[in-house]
Amino acid sequence: MALSARKLGFGWLSHVQRYQGLIGLLLLLVVAYSLDAKHFYDPRNLANILNQLAVPGILAVGMTFVILTGGIDLSVGSLLGLLNCVVSTWIVAGTGLVPSIAYTLFLGIAIGGGIGYIVSATRLQPFIVTLAAMVSLRGVAYVYTNNGTVSGLGDKLNFLIAPQLGIPLSAWIMLGLTGVSALVLWGTVFGRNVYALGGNEEAARYAGLRLTWIRVGAYAANGLCVAIAALIFTARNTNGDPSAGTAYELDAITAVVVGGTSLLGGYGGVLGTFVGAMFIVCLNVLLILKGVNTYVGMGWKGLIILIAVYLQSVGRRR
Amino acid sequence: MRFEIGLVAALAMLVGCSGGEEAKTGTTGSETPSTEKALVVFSQANSQDPWRKVFDAETKAAAAKHQKHFEFDMQDAAGDPGKQNNIVDTFIVKQPKVLLISPTDDGVKPSVEKAFDAGIPVILLDRDFKGSDKFTAYIGGDNKDIGRQAGEYVAKRLNGKGTVLMIQGIAQIGPTIDRRGGFMEVMAKHPGITVIEGDDCGYQRQKARSYMETFLQKGQKIDCVYGHNDEMAIGARLAWDAANPSGGAAPIFVGIDACQQEVVDLIKSGKLDATFKYPTPGAAGVELAAKIIKGEKPTEKRMILPTEIVTKETADAYMTANPNLAK
Repeated sequence: MALSARKLGFGWLSHVQRYQGLIGLLLLLVVAYSLDAKHFYDPRNLANILNQLAVPGILAVGMTFVILTGGIDLSVGSLLGLLNCVVSTWIVAGTGLVPSIAYTLFLGIAIGGGIGYIVSATRLQPFIVTLAAMVSLRGVAYVYTNNGTVSGLGDKLNFLIAPQLGIPLSAWIMLGLTGVSALVLWGTVFGRNVYALGGNEEAARYAGLRLTWIRVGAYAANGLCVAIAALIFTARNTNGDPSAGTAYELDAITAVVVGGTSLLGGYGGVLGTFVGAMFIVCLNVLLILKGVNTYVGMGWKGLIILIAVYLQSVGRRR
Repeated sequence: MRFEIGLVAALAMLVGCSGGEEAKTGTTGSETPSTEKALVVFSQANSQDPWRKVFDAETKAAAAKHQKHFEFDMQDAAGDPGKQNNIVDTFIVKQPKVLLISPTDDGVKPSVEKAFDAGIPVILLDRDFKGSDKFTAYIGGDNKDIGRQAGEYVAKRLNGKGTVLMIQGIAQIGPTIDRRGGFMEVMAKHPGITVIEGDDCGYQRQKARSYMETFLQKGQKIDCVYGHNDEMAIGARLAWDAANPSGGAAPIFVGIDACQQEVVDLIKSGKLDATFKYPTPGAAGVELAAKIIKGEKPTEKRMILPTEIVTKETADAYMTANPNLAK
């Protein structure tokens, strides 16, 4: 794909496209410096940013797998809400930490994999399948908690967000997950297959790849990430709330796109996504520090998605 | 290349500049920013319903009166506790003298306790947390009492006999539980009244309207509609009027909040029968913050603001006494 851009005389453009997230993040850091260096570059704010990074960052890592296959997952916010309620209910009911966490991770993988299987088996657009899942899972979360919140969790999950070697464990988990995902995507057969499926599905089919299993794997990896994010979310909020995670899929998708992964699939990676997530969180923090109205901030985020997607598509039109 | 990078840079500058502007218009009293001035921050749960809009307006108006004493900054969490935790965490970095917060739900407890532990006085507005005393003061209305008063009013109007359709607010939050609980407490004393527990219509007019439209299809006779807020009572009334174009004996419509001009007008014209004021705590919160900055201690930990009933008879007096109603 970079080749086609080069042919059109846009050689430099492919570099911008590859590093657009990083360019954006650096620009944002400069803007932050000029606007509010005193608070933004306060060491306490660094801890604050790392604390806020884990949930959207991990969701974005999972979303990268799905988007690389050429799919999309709109259900991650709802799944996060459901798993938030499940793990809270289990722990409040007195189940041990290990089984509760294991069950949450299992549910995430199972539901994610199930969605991947449905996408594959029905050949429906992932947008439609995950839209349906988004609605259903949210409903299930409300039924599961009987329309209430689950409280009484205390600080049982606090170890997930407690600082280890200077930064919160949740941030370590996010960094580790990004590293492992990068290795899986670049260094394993499964990872190469994910790129192959997203790059050209027909070619991948004729090459004899087992597309169903690649999809199930990618969506299951996403489900696992959602489950981990749900655990950290629960540790931060110390309760189960059936409305938790509403619209979080949008931040995850934004981070992936800003990070330079193509929504068409087959191009990009998790390191870009990490930068994209950092961008979103720094932008959020800066908007709060500068007292920008939340809804005005949403307008800006929409504009940034548009610019990021546009930059990706320049020079690639056929 | 220069052009493209210039474009991106220009856009980034634009984000930056407008951020600055917004900060000026969005906060009162920041025209002459000085680092020595105390900072009061307010984290609002959401600004999506009319009651919250009045709440915001009164809070800002009260803060504007104090702009000589402190800077005021507010952020809206759009109803998302995760986002509100982020906002409070980021506020802590700015080291405010007082944190005013109307929590979305119990999920915000960790960041609020963190602020309190960091030595920032915390004033909870409208909602408090179950089983936590890590706050300086709480200011709010008494939803349970409002629910009870609504129940007493309905029981009296129905003479202890009939069917009430209760249209419910967001299921899992405190105000809904109390507005329902107080009402049901009174209903338990009146076995002649049947209460139909309607759907969760999210405190929204259009959801209540659609729900009521469907409900009326059943043809079941009801004598009273009790909405957990005025918006839903209005939605139900609109559905009733659409289903009964020739008029006829309408049920009694009762709501809660009394924060809109429109509601008072509807009460005057007889479309709604009664509503109960749910007082907005913002102004009282800002006054208390000003006291705390001066070094005074709050006299009471829980300040409960009183409610009052608004009916056709009291509508005009209510309007004179409450000039800040939402238009």
